Amino acid sequence: VYVPTSGLIPQCLLLAGVECELYNEEYMTCMWGSREMPTVNYSLFYWLLLLPKPRCKRYLQDQGVRVGCYFEQNELIQFQSFHVLINASVGGKTLEIPSKRMLLQDLVKPAAPVNLTIRNMSNNQLQLTWASPYPNDQCLEHAVKYKSNKDTSWTELSVNGDVFSLPSVDYEKSYTFYVRSKINKFCGSTLFWSEWSLPVFWGSNSTSKGTVEEQLYWFGIRTVLVPIASCLLLLVLVILLVRMERVWVILMPRIPNPSKNFDELFITHNGNFQEWAGVPKDVVESFKPNYSENICYVTELPPKDSHEPLWDSSNHAPPPMPGPPAAPNEHSPYWNSYGRV
Amino acid sequence: MKRMIIFCMLFFCSTMVLTETSPRRAKYRQILRKIEELESMVKEKDAELLYTPENFVDGCENTTVTCFKKGILKLQPARSQDTPKFTKAIRIVSRFTAKDKQCNATPPCESYEKKTPKNFLKGFENLIQMLFKN
Repeated sequence: VYVPTSGLIPQCLLLAGVECELYNEEYMTCMWGSREMPTVNYSLFYWLLLLPKPRCKRYLQDQGVRVGCYFEQNELIQFQSFHVLINASVGGKTLEIPSKRMLLQDLVKPAAPVNLTIRNMSNNQLQLTWASPYPNDQCLEHAVKYKSNKDTSWTELSVNGDVFSLPSVDYEKSYTFYVRSKINKFCGSTLFWSEWSLPVFWGSNSTSKGTVEEQLYWFGIRTVLVPIASCLLLLVLVILLVRMERVWVILMPRIPNPSKNFDELFITHNGNFQEWAGVPKDVVESFKPNYSENICYVTELPPKDSHEPLWDSSNHAPPPMPGPPAAPNEHSPYWNSYGRV
Repeated sequence: MKRMIIFCMLFFCSTMVLTETSPRRAKYRQILRKIEELESMVKEKDAELLYTPENFVDGCENTTVTCFKKGILKLQPARSQDTPKFTKAIRIVSRFTAKDKQCNATPPCESYEKKTPKNFLKGFENLIQMLFKN
């Protein structure tokens, strides 16, 4: 247990200060210490101006050390100066540590809102309403914080009345709402917000735990059952189609075989189209050639500078034309050039 | 027919009364907003200190308001370009009155502590907040 010299105590307490909070105007707690404070005997005196100085009737303790005082509603008057004096006594010596003048209306911390209710309005609008345990609605301002299951951060907005409207909601998402209150500037200059209320949920998944399981369930249905069912249906239809020949014939008609019309051509006339078609004989005769023509073999004329013997090249170059190679013919004009080199 | 018309008029008037907020509270709201404006514009440096009532005596609200109104008239704006807005706010606040329910003895204005213009306005704000709440 650390027992400091008397000089250190006032420094510790002055730094820490006395913090008072008036909860919902029902009771007040003033705290001046914590576990780290020196374990000396503390006494609190308080007074409102023009009243005598009563002691604290109910101390709040932490491991045997007085660290705060609890005030009943009837001990408090708002809009009047409120002073607190802490006496720290150790080893027979007593030190007085006064606090600043306080105005209790500036220390009010309202209770958190309750009975949060969501209503579906037209045009995809949501309306959130709530009630407050604080007696005077005109003195409150509120803040709403909400988030959908797809958002990463909270959205916080100030509200003056006790109704909040969310203009457009996505029915695929689920939303969570919290509300808190504060005394507005018309009733005090407070800094304390109340605690956040209990949350209220809205959306397609009312509990966050069911989300993953439900999603898996629907996923399974969509990706497995549906294809299987459609394949089975297709199979049934195909079988029916095959079995019901009347339907089959309509859908898949036989390719007609025209060979019956051409029996005469193939059998009677033995494939002779002209005969079957009835082409006159003299026309057919006129198409037959009545002269013969020798095939003319053409080869490339070698250049004059070439030292290769002509006969070698002639022996090595068989003509690609079918038929026997023609003997050098005096009438052929090409023979002359061939022989001249 | 006459009774019907009278009934409809009464019904209409009663609904109007129900939906209307208290005019007193609307007035307090207006005064608080004006005090807030004055706090943002008021000259603090080298300004005269003013008697600031505190620990208001129940039943003597108007007497306390009168003390504040005396002090309000001595306030000056910090910047000359704020003068029109400042003057208008002072005018509105000066016209404000409250009701003394039952005032037996109030300390005179000069018995209170003198404070800087901003703290004086905060004191006035406290008084109006008390009136609004009650």
